[in-house]
Amino acid sequence: MNLSRRDFVKSTGVLCGAVATQLPWTLPAATAEHSAVNRHDLAEQALARARKLGCDYADIRINKYRRESVFTREQQVLNVSRTHDFGFGVRVLYKGAWGFAASHIVTPQSIRKVTEQAFDIARANSRYQRKPIKLAPAEKVVAKWKSSFAKDPFDVPMEKKVEFLLKLNELAIQAKGASFVTSGLSFQNEDKFFASTDGSETEQYIIRTLPFLNVTAVNRSSGDFQTRGTLAGPKTIGYEYLEDSSWAEDARKAGEEAAAKLKAKPVEPGKYDLILHPSHLWLTIHESVGHSTELDRALLWEADYAGTSFITPDKTGKLEFGSRICNFYADRTQPNGLATVGYDDEGVQSQRWPIVKDGIFVDWQTTRDLAPLIGATQSHGCLHSDSWGSVPFPRMPNVSLEPAKENVSLDDLIGGVDDGILIYGNGSWSIDHQRYNFQFGGQTFWEIKNGKLGEMLRDVAYQSRTPEFWHACDALGGSSTYELNGAANDGKGEPTQANAVSHGCPVARFRQINVLNTNPSKKTT
Amino acid sequence: MLSEKQSRDLCRKLLSYVKADDAVVSVSSEDYSHLRFAANGFTTSGRREDASAGVTVWIKKQRGSASANDLDEASLRDAVQQAEQIASTAPVDKEYLPTLGPQAYKPSSDYVDATVNLSLSHRAQAIDEIIRGCEKKDLIAAGFHHANGSTSGVATKNGNFYYERSSLASLSVTARTADGGASGYFLRNHFDIAKLDARRIGHEAMRKALESKNPRPMEPGTYPVILEAQAAGDLIRFGFDARNADEGRSPYSAPGGKTKLGQHIFDERINVYSDPWHPELPTSPVAQDGIPAQKMFFVRNGVLENLHYSRYWAHEKGKTPTPGPVNTILESTGKTHSLEEMISSMKKGLLVSRFWYIRGVDPRTALFTGLTRDGLWYVENGKIQYPVRNFRFNQSVLELLAPGNIEMIGKSERISSSESQGRGAELTPALMVKAFHFSSPSDAV
Repeated sequence: MNLSRRDFVKSTGVLCGAVATQLPWTLPAATAEHSAVNRHDLAEQALARARKLGCDYADIRINKYRRESVFTREQQVLNVSRTHDFGFGVRVLYKGAWGFAASHIVTPQSIRKVTEQAFDIARANSRYQRKPIKLAPAEKVVAKWKSSFAKDPFDVPMEKKVEFLLKLNELAIQAKGASFVTSGLSFQNEDKFFASTDGSETEQYIIRTLPFLNVTAVNRSSGDFQTRGTLAGPKTIGYEYLEDSSWAEDARKAGEEAAAKLKAKPVEPGKYDLILHPSHLWLTIHESVGHSTELDRALLWEADYAGTSFITPDKTGKLEFGSRICNFYADRTQPNGLATVGYDDEGVQSQRWPIVKDGIFVDWQTTRDLAPLIGATQSHGCLHSDSWGSVPFPRMPNVSLEPAKENVSLDDLIGGVDDGILIYGNGSWSIDHQRYNFQFGGQTFWEIKNGKLGEMLRDVAYQSRTPEFWHACDALGGSSTYELNGAANDGKGEPTQANAVSHGCPVARFRQINVLNTNPSKKTT
Repeated sequence: MLSEKQSRDLCRKLLSYVKADDAVVSVSSEDYSHLRFAANGFTTSGRREDASAGVTVWIKKQRGSASANDLDEASLRDAVQQAEQIASTAPVDKEYLPTLGPQAYKPSSDYVDATVNLSLSHRAQAIDEIIRGCEKKDLIAAGFHHANGSTSGVATKNGNFYYERSSLASLSVTARTADGGASGYFLRNHFDIAKLDARRIGHEAMRKALESKNPRPMEPGTYPVILEAQAAGDLIRFGFDARNADEGRSPYSAPGGKTKLGQHIFDERINVYSDPWHPELPTSPVAQDGIPAQKMFFVRNGVLENLHYSRYWAHEKGKTPTPGPVNTILESTGKTHSLEEMISSMKKGLLVSRFWYIRGVDPRTALFTGLTRDGLWYVENGKIQYPVRNFRFNQSVLELLAPGNIEMIGKSERISSSESQGRGAELTPALMVKAFHFSSPSDAV
């Protein structure tokens, strides 16, 4: 599930050619101070202290985070901000119980104090620990890794970013009937250092780009209003992501379609064949496949918050999750994936593995302390924390649906539908606490009649149950229809943490799904 | 954590580096600890200390912001420099208003030392007691205990300064039967850890789990319901933003470019107000941009009395900036009824313990969807008959509280919404209503 609910996005590099003043994204004194911090030496101090205290295992993360945001509405800039965040967290395992402590004060004295705090917590809890935590072995790793980007967005002048957004806003609001537009850019940089008593040490540098735009069309006389957000999503990528004409095109379309939704035909509730575009389907995959295959949920570790799963370990290799054409895989190496890294937060190398193969559920998302609980000898590398100050725990990798091997197009899928609806983009979303019953809205909806695309619809949501839904999937698009989308604020855990995760998929067709009309003046089922 | 003097000194230092025409600076600190348990064992446990400094400046009405989590002199200077660099090339902030001068705040107190300095061993022992209680009843315990203290100091270039300190301890417990067929949940929080009754929280979660065994299926549809205070607090959210309403994109917008101000939108027995000095819900006495908060009504006797005007929007519309809300209190204007009275008077309907995964579906009507969770029972002829399997609902909050739909209102209780993990709190009563829309069954337990 998402914390405050997700981000959606798209492009053009339309610059006037004005000379932009370079604003260096450096904090000279602070950066110099942080650079002077020898993370390796500090880590050694923490790990040595942990060993001396009798810990069975310990690790430390010393991380720096930079964030930059620009928010606009219509032709004004609401805020431009930069944040810089630096600190460390120590995790220890003592007599089968975890302890964790963290501080923003990165000095040898603080390292010692915080390590002892983590130990005190683990020791206090170990007295009551019934089943000691055990870790699956992991290869010792000493490595550096950098995410893929051509242009570091933190080196791009702020004026260029402002100009990009204001131009999109202008294009969006030009549509007749479009009333308001908000847009924004956020950039994230993670500079992560990890070391453990197993001898592993990793340094990773990650850049992510998160754009969004949303248009509102208001009919003042009736009091009705409709919105349309952009369709592309955040990615692990640099500023080059925004230098593409498709952003301008989608901004323009967003304005037109927000206004058109005011006059669109309300959907009649009932069962329909649905064709779901990747800009929509990624979220359904996230909620129904991504979360249901998290092993910690299945083992009740998330029972007090996000819930458990309808899948249990005994169903591995047996459960018919979906139709035979459904192949889902987890992949922390996927290019531009939000969860793509070199190593997870306990030094396990990123990998790709099947979750559902030919419709059968085959494997889980695991960490070093989860893997032994199902008899697995190794972790799949899913440990993550969203900050130096957050305790790491199992998080979702990129989970994607493989396209058809044949060259099947969107039009091919539409041609096979007599009475259906094509859905783009994400709207409302909700799923139950075992990942069965879900309900999703969207951004735009199009009637399909007798194999042809028809008029726009409105007030559409569909409701289904995960196993029935994926069994109803009877056709997939080919690789030419495959797109990657995702969210940077998927929420889980206590205390809740954000996770950035992507889901790739082709267009897909689902037969006879229950569709609601969400306008309360009509009856819904 | 930072004291008032330390915060004031740091704010002074930040302002001394500011060359911009106007600025607001802040320094904050936090001390946070948690213990999480699941499957009758401890899973993660930790603590974190953090601090940060934030700067927003305006140069010729051009705005820039920066923040960092180092409080040494070089870092503070750099944060100011970054903000001023951004402001120097940003477009004019058309919504800029000068920061406030000195204000007077009536103090409110929601801080207790003992909450921040809780004993690790006592906490571990208290949680162990709950787990042992579950084991005795063949239940599987999960839950989350956390406690924090935080401070915030804010100063403006025009001379305002305020300092706040708060604490909060929270505990949620989920108890599941061993066969996974039933579950119960309870969550409470308080700024004073001495008032957080861990035993009661554990007991209630266990009771609801045991009373939810062998749930029966029911057809979805529209039913009379009793919402426990937790359920009401999970679902009911108010966003009284005046600008959205004036712009025609809010449930409080009305046709013809008007708003619903002055209209009878809720049952006449309902008040919704904010009060920073309420003894059960003390909170910050500082509203938006440093305006001193006041006790104020948004809904009184069911009538929409106020919308929230930001300083900028108030300036545009010739209104007074709204000194709130800083908390939310939903209360009956008259006689209240206990949960037992509500159950006794129900002919046929459902008793809902709480809701989950609530998301907006249609902002025009405040239509939300979500699920029931951890306790749903069928009531007939004044008695709870049996537990029922969960439902998905699609329900408009405006319709829920509308005139004619409310039967009884309970005494308002301090609750925290489930999805907030006990981070916030409000005062919300149990509600008995005539019609609530359940749209489909859910197998989830």
